[in-house]
Amino acid sequence: MISRRALLAGGAGSALALSVNPRIVVGQTNEPIKIGVVTPLSGPQEFIGSFVKSGAEVAAEMINKAGGVKGRPLQLEFRDEKANPAAATTVARELLGLGYNLQLGTISSTVALAYGPLMQQENGINLTCGAGTEKLNHENYTSNVFRVGDGTYRMRAQARFMAEKYPEVTSWTGIIPDHEYGRTVWAVFVDGLLEFYPALTGKTPTIVPPVLVPYGSGDYRNFITQMMKSPAKGVVNATYGGDAATFFQQARPYGLFRDRILMDAANEFIVANALKDQVPKHWTGSHWYYANNKSQLSQDFYQAYVAKTGNRMPMGWAGEAQAAVSAYAAAIAKAGSTDTKAVIAALKGLTWDTVTGPRTIRAEDNQAIKNLEVIQIEPAPGTDIGFKVSDSVQIPGAPVIEPATPGQKMALRTAS
Amino acid sequence: MLADWPSLLFNALGWGMATFLVAAGLTLVFGILHVLNFSHGGFFMIGAYLAFTISAAVGSTSLIAFLGASLAAALVVGLLGLVVDRAVFRRLAQVDGAYVLVATYALLLVCNGAVKLIWGLNVQSAQPPAALFEVTVLGDLVMPHYAMFVIAAGIVVYLALEWLLNLTAAGKLIRAIAADPWMAQLLGVNVGLVYSATVALGFALAGLAGGFLVANQSLSPDLAGIFIIQAFGVVIIGGMGSIRGAFLASLLLGLVDSFGTALLPDMPGILFFVALAVLLLVRPQGLLGSGRLA
Repeated sequence: MISRRALLAGGAGSALALSVNPRIVVGQTNEPIKIGVVTPLSGPQEFIGSFVKSGAEVAAEMINKAGGVKGRPLQLEFRDEKANPAAATTVARELLGLGYNLQLGTISSTVALAYGPLMQQENGINLTCGAGTEKLNHENYTSNVFRVGDGTYRMRAQARFMAEKYPEVTSWTGIIPDHEYGRTVWAVFVDGLLEFYPALTGKTPTIVPPVLVPYGSGDYRNFITQMMKSPAKGVVNATYGGDAATFFQQARPYGLFRDRILMDAANEFIVANALKDQVPKHWTGSHWYYANNKSQLSQDFYQAYVAKTGNRMPMGWAGEAQAAVSAYAAAIAKAGSTDTKAVIAALKGLTWDTVTGPRTIRAEDNQAIKNLEVIQIEPAPGTDIGFKVSDSVQIPGAPVIEPATPGQKMALRTAS
Repeated sequence: MLADWPSLLFNALGWGMATFLVAAGLTLVFGILHVLNFSHGGFFMIGAYLAFTISAAVGSTSLIAFLGASLAAALVVGLLGLVVDRAVFRRLAQVDGAYVLVATYALLLVCNGAVKLIWGLNVQSAQPPAALFEVTVLGDLVMPHYAMFVIAAGIVVYLALEWLLNLTAAGKLIRAIAADPWMAQLLGVNVGLVYSATVALGFALAGLAGGFLVANQSLSPDLAGIFIIQAFGVVIIGGMGSIRGAFLASLLLGLVDSFGTALLPDMPGILFFVALAVLLLVRPQGLLGSGRLA
C-alpha cells in the first residue's frame, strides 16, 4: 500500500519533471496535427462544400497513409459555414478556441474576406479553397489568409487562351450576374482581352456591355432576347450552378450560342451534368481536371476520391482541398512546428506538389501561382453522360497572374 | 426599346403565367385558411422533382407523358397537402400568426432536406416534350412553344379556378367557409373536410406548377426559392386570397419586370421590387383585396 506521503511526493516529483518539458505532456512526437475544415455543408453552396469536404478527407488519408507529417497524422475537424460570414466566423472562432489555429475550406468570397481580421486577431490561418474575390490578396490583404488555388487571374488566362485559339473573335460580351463575383469575373476577363488580343493578334477587341442578370432568376428570356441582338461573337458566362443550367436551358430554343464562342467562367461539369446532350458546346474553367493531370499524385488522388465517394467526375474544388491540406503538410514539415507564425513564414514562398502540379505561394500577397485549366465540353448524344470533354489545356499561371499589390486595389484595363 | 415590345410582351406573359402557376395554390390556401404557407416553394420543388422522375421512368418525350407526369406530381403533392393539413395546419388554427410563419418555414426546410436525401445535390434538368421543342419566329419575335404552353397553362388554371370558385356549389361552399367558418359550421357544413380538400387542392396546384415548369428550370435544392418571392409578390399585390387579383398582379408585375429589363439594364429585376413597394403604398389591401376568397 502506498502511503499518503509517498503519493504526494511522487505526484510533486512528476509535476516538476513534466514542467521542465511540457511537450512530454502532450506527447508531441506522435500527436495528431489538428486542422479545421470550415466549408459549406448546408445552404446554397453545399454542393461545392461536399467536394471540399471529400477532397480534404482523401488528401489527409493519403498523407496519413504515407506516414503523416514527420510521423504525425493529420486530424481534420469539420464545421458548416453555410457560405454565410456570420455563421462562418462563429464556427471558426469555436475551432480556434479548441486549438485549431490551422483552418481551410473557404469558398465564398464574403466568408474569405470576413476571415482576414478574425484570423489576424485570433492568431489563426485560413487557406481558401476557391474564393474568387481579388480583394483577398489586394486591398483586403492580411498575412493570415492564403489562397492556395487560382484567383481571378484564371479569367485572364481564359482571355489569353481565347486570343490564341480564336484570334478572329474580337467582339466580346457577357452574361453577368449582378453581384460582386459576377462583376469581378467580367472586369478581369475584359482586362485580359484588352491585354492579350492586341499582344497576340495585333487586334483591339470590341467590348460590348454585358447583359446583367439578377441572382437566382427563374426566367432569363428577356436577357436572352437582349443577348440575341448583341453583335458580339464571343460570350463569357458568369452565371453559376442552377442559375447557369436554367439560363442555358432557356437559351437553347433561341440558338443563342449557335454561332458564338461561349466561355464559361467556372461551372466545370455542373451545367453539362444537368443538361447532358442538350448542353451547348462551350469552354469552361476548372480548378483541377483529373484527366488532364497525369502525375502519379493526381491519379492516386483521383482513384482514392472515386473509391471514397463513387463519383467518377469529381469537380475541381476537390483538387483545391487537396492543395490546401498538402500545403499545410508541406509548411509544417518545413517549419517543424504548427505554431501560427512559423507556419505563415513557411507558407510564404512555399513550393509544394499538388494534383495540378507544383504550386508556389507568392510571398508578397499569399496568392498561389499554379497552372490554369480550361476544358471544352460538347454534346455526345447516345453516351451514358450525354456529353464529352473534347479538348483541354493547361495554361502556366506565371505569365498571366497580375502583379502583387497587397493592400492596394488591383489595376484593371477598361474598355474606352 | 419600342422595336422590342412584342418580345417584351411575350416574355412578360411567360413570366406572369409561370408566376401565377406557382402563386395559385398559395393564394388559395391563404384565402381559406389564412395560412401564409412559407413551405409552398418547397412543395413546388417536390412537384418538379416528382414530374422529372416520373417522366424519366416512363421514358417518353410525348406531350401526353409530360402532362401525365405533371398531373401525377400534382396528385402526390396534393396528398402530401392532406398530411400537412393534419400534422401542421390544423394545429396552427388557433395560434398566433408568428407561429405559422415559423412552422411553415420549418416545413420548407423539411422539403429541402427530403429533396437532398432523395435526389441528391447535383443540378439536373428535364427537357420539354418533343412537341414543345420548336420555336415560332415572327420577325424579331422568337416564341418557344414551351413558353406558349406555360402561358396557356396559366390561363387555363386561372379559368378553372374562376369556374370552380364562382360557378360550382363546391366553390360557393369554399367561399362561404372562407368568409365565416363559424356560421358555416352552424349551418351543418363539414368545415374540416372543406378545409382539407382546399389545402389538398392548393398543394396539388403547387405540384402541378412544378410539373409544368420543370422543363424550364434546372432542378436543384435551390429550386424552392425560384419564383417564390415573385409568387408572394403577386399574392400580396393581387390582394391576399384573391385568385383574380393574383392573376392580374401576375400580368402587371410580369410587364413591369419585362419592360424594366429593357429600361434599366444596369439594375436587373429592380423595377419588380419598386413596383411592389409603390403598389403597396398606393393600395395596401392589394388590387382586388377584399378579405374574401374570389
